[in-house]
Amino acid sequence: MFFESAIIIASRSYIPFYFSKFEEGVDMKVKSYKKLAAISVIAGSVLFSSACSDANSTSGNKKSGDNNTISITYRDGGGTNKGLTDWLNKDVIPEFKKEHPKANIKLSPISASEGDYFAKVALMLKSGQSAPDIVTEDTFMVNSDASAGYLEPLDDKLKNWDEWSHYIENVKNGVKAQDGKIYGVPFNTDSRGLWYNKELFKKAGLSVPWEPKSWGDILTAARTIKKKSPGVIPMWMNSGKATGEATSMQTFEMLLYGTKDPLYDEEKQKWIVNSQGLLDTYSFIDTIYKEKLGPGLSQVLNGQGGTVAYTQLFPKGKIAIGLDGIWQAGNYRKDGPAPWPDAFKTLGYAAMPTQNGEGPGKTSMSGGWAFSIPKKSDNKDLSWEFIKFISTKENNLKLLLKENNLSPREDVSKEPEYLNLPMFKEASEFLENTHFRPSVDKYPSVSTVIQSTVEDVVTGKLSPKQAVEIYQKNVTRVVGEDKVIER
Amino acid sequence: MDANPVISTSTSVDSKSSLHKRKNKKLLSSLLFLLPSWILLLIFFIGPILLTFYFAFTNLSLTGSEAQATQFVGFSNFVNMFQDPNFRISVIKTILYLLFSAIIGQQVLGFILALLMKEKNPAFRRVIGIIVIAGWVTPEIVVAFCWVAFLNDSGTLNMILQHMGLKPVAWLFAFPMTSVIIANIWHGTAFSMLVFQAALDDVPKSIEEAAVVDGASRFQVLYRIVLPMIKGSVVTNMILVTLQTLGVFTLIYAMTGGGPGTSTQTLPIFMYNQAFVNYQLGYGTAISLILLLIGVLVSLLYLKSMKVKV
Amino acid sequence: MKIKSKKLERSIPYIILAAIGVLFLLPLLWVLIASVDPNANSSIKVPSAFTADNFKSVLTDPVNIRAFIIGLLLSLGQGLLVVLVAGLAAYPLSRYQMKYKKHFMFTILFMTSLPITAVMVPVYQLFIYLKLQDSLWGTMLFLTAAGLPYAIWMLKNFMDAVPLELEESAWIDGASVWEGLRRIVAPLMIPGICTVGIFTFSGSWGNFFVPYILIQSPEKLPASVTIYQFFGNFGMVEYGKLAAFSILYTFPAIVLYIFSQRFMSQGFSLGGASKG
Repeated sequence: MFFESAIIIASRSYIPFYFSKFEEGVDMKVKSYKKLAAISVIAGSVLFSSACSDANSTSGNKKSGDNNTISITYRDGGGTNKGLTDWLNKDVIPEFKKEHPKANIKLSPISASEGDYFAKVALMLKSGQSAPDIVTEDTFMVNSDASAGYLEPLDDKLKNWDEWSHYIENVKNGVKAQDGKIYGVPFNTDSRGLWYNKELFKKAGLSVPWEPKSWGDILTAARTIKKKSPGVIPMWMNSGKATGEATSMQTFEMLLYGTKDPLYDEEKQKWIVNSQGLLDTYSFIDTIYKEKLGPGLSQVLNGQGGTVAYTQLFPKGKIAIGLDGIWQAGNYRKDGPAPWPDAFKTLGYAAMPTQNGEGPGKTSMSGGWAFSIPKKSDNKDLSWEFIKFISTKENNLKLLLKENNLSPREDVSKEPEYLNLPMFKEASEFLENTHFRPSVDKYPSVSTVIQSTVEDVVTGKLSPKQAVEIYQKNVTRVVGEDKVIER
Repeated sequence: MDANPVISTSTSVDSKSSLHKRKNKKLLSSLLFLLPSWILLLIFFIGPILLTFYFAFTNLSLTGSEAQATQFVGFSNFVNMFQDPNFRISVIKTILYLLFSAIIGQQVLGFILALLMKEKNPAFRRVIGIIVIAGWVTPEIVVAFCWVAFLNDSGTLNMILQHMGLKPVAWLFAFPMTSVIIANIWHGTAFSMLVFQAALDDVPKSIEEAAVVDGASRFQVLYRIVLPMIKGSVVTNMILVTLQTLGVFTLIYAMTGGGPGTSTQTLPIFMYNQAFVNYQLGYGTAISLILLLIGVLVSLLYLKSMKVKV
Repeated sequence: MKIKSKKLERSIPYIILAAIGVLFLLPLLWVLIASVDPNANSSIKVPSAFTADNFKSVLTDPVNIRAFIIGLLLSLGQGLLVVLVAGLAAYPLSRYQMKYKKHFMFTILFMTSLPITAVMVPVYQLFIYLKLQDSLWGTMLFLTAAGLPYAIWMLKNFMDAVPLELEESAWIDGASVWEGLRRIVAPLMIPGICTVGIFTFSGSWGNFFVPYILIQSPEKLPASVTIYQFFGNFGMVEYGKLAAFSILYTFPAIVLYIFSQRFMSQGFSLGGASKG
């Protein structure tokens, strides 16, 4: 763009003046131009050849038939996955190298917001040139990427791996695609609930420990906080497209699965595109922002929003309630992104209530991440060796102590160190009433519809009712008319 | 001197045809020189354009089962598109963006700058020129950072407002479209300014002076004499600026990502979101095709405006 | 009284221009100041101290250096390729008498105005087919093709101004067409070639969208993408570093712009000198 317009200017001011006088002095100038030309041609060719050789070395650094090198892709940037990175660098890679001295494990993290990560991974997996050897997949993407033919089924490999029997059945289901095959080895799972600041609650005269029984209780608490502590954000929930899946799962689905209407009818195998639950969910979100119980839009509709909230605003006592996952506790570890020794004297973790306290009274969502091997990886055997190595009881435990997440392995769950993780007891209790995302390959696309409608409600572009209409329209377009029902 | 910013094709045509033939024979081998450019253009320029026509009619997807079994789906992408309220919003946003940031904003401001700077103190002229051009030379992505910071909750603009006793505003959320329009004006005005400067320089001073002697007011001179004389530049500049603005992606993407909601979702952003965020490459390509067709239309206008000159 | 109002009238344009200038300057000023402020935030303020730490921390990160080098090589490679390929193509278009030359030139002109970034989705798909995805070479070739129409158009017009007689005399001495182009025409077109080269370079240096889609491996990303990632990760926190990064990234574009201006004015003065 710049280029095109610049040249117009250049030519405009340059040619008529210069070349109209050009012919008069041709002879005089030829000599000096020749010199200039010679110099620039030499300089140019030197630069060009160096450019070529370097570009060559950067583009061919991995795929040279080298079967000792594997690359791992995960998400990083801005403190994201610090625990995972530390664990890879300090714990497992050095240990693995002791057993496989020739192995070269290359970290190839993608620096993107949560909203962009999955699309970037799909872009990478689609082509043979950029596919890594191991990729960390949020389990909701496993099915979709497996259906796309991007991932390697692991069933044959798992058969000969005894450790697999230690994995929790629920979690195993998360890495199973529609074809019934397993496409990943989970390394964590999680649950979600309500983080709250006990001091702010006490100051506002709310009872601690907080045990909300319905959405109404949450709103009441938030309204009280707003009245008593004006500078504080009463309720933080991920609400935008930039926070991607966190908006769908931590906010939308945590609410929706507390109503009578889930996202997907497992029995009929159809998406529920119109229900009272959907309307109530959008209405709750709408209420939070309409009554200014939530953060400012510039804070929350931002890829860094969640990070800023948990590493800066919570420690500063600027947020009263936060709807999010157990792993946020990992921020406050001694060597975490925001060390905070007294974190759990101040912070409490309450179970998310169902809409009106119906059913078991509590709800939660669980997901988790897995290591998968891309189909286009050129070093599947070593990758599998590495995955097996890092997924043992000891190594998995080390990771979870750094990440402060829940373990996908039953045996790890019995370790005292693990049981002593902050808020572990609460988070494990949430698992009793937890839900999993529909394991259908269209889920990722539905999830992006959720994110954009939530953002539209938050910004006041859509009323809750309109949001349901748009949701219905767009989900129907994505999954097909034969795959949807109304309730 | 012609007032058109793009140079016209060669006019030096030799009339002696025998000489012509001899030269041409010698030059025949030079036709080979066209080859590298043709190959590159064919693969990387024409190729993607042809592919657009193909993929726009498929359900190509970035993930999920369609990624493996891509099917021809006829016009369903287009049917969906015209029913998709977000598409309608994007078209409206694109038109607003073109109208206010390119056709009106950059052109008018560029013209005012060029007009006011005419025959002013050279040092002053230079300083203003450098400031305006600096915004133009700055890469789009940095322009976005500058404006995100400037319009931030606690950014410079809000700081100034607070000094004036006004309440701060979350500009990128309260007035997102206005924000990206102004940022684009800031970035692009220098181009129009330079074009108009060159055009105004070509207006003979004697004509203006003669008009003033005849008792014409300054505005009359501007309307009756100057503007008609630089009409060619205005038209060409307008088309070029429109084409540039039509393709703007980086600035909006980095400033607002098309949001909040769909507030700044112009067609390029909509295309990107559908293809690379919502995983629907086929649908994204259909949007691509629409963008391309708009581009072709405007380009044809451009060629038509050029034809007068050649 | 009359003189006074005339004075006022004369100063109005200055006032308006100065106001516009200040408005244009404000967003830019922030970058300049924040980059040397140890505690920069998002608004302009007088720094409590001056520091080079922001620049230092950007420049000492090997990842940034790598990104700058890749960006530089990508843009240089593209600039040289464009000049080379377009220069070759311009020659027959300028010299050879063809029947449909006018149509051809109009097609080229038409291509210059197509918003090629509008077709990034199919380009991505094309790259998958050609197995060029994630290849810096492929990206360079695509950028080259995207810049070609303009460069051909420009160089052809530059070339038209070089008289054919010069080559003809060389041909009589036994030079081939290629030699004529290389020895006679190209040296005479150096200013034009440099102008096209510089602007091609600047265009690709600032291009974010194309490498963002076509390059996936983090170790191959040019500066235009890494600066965006930095903004995405720390943009709301590390204002000083973001500003320093921005300045470092903008620097080549500014330098080349100034250089190109110099070049043009040199062109004027050379023409003038030969006249005198």
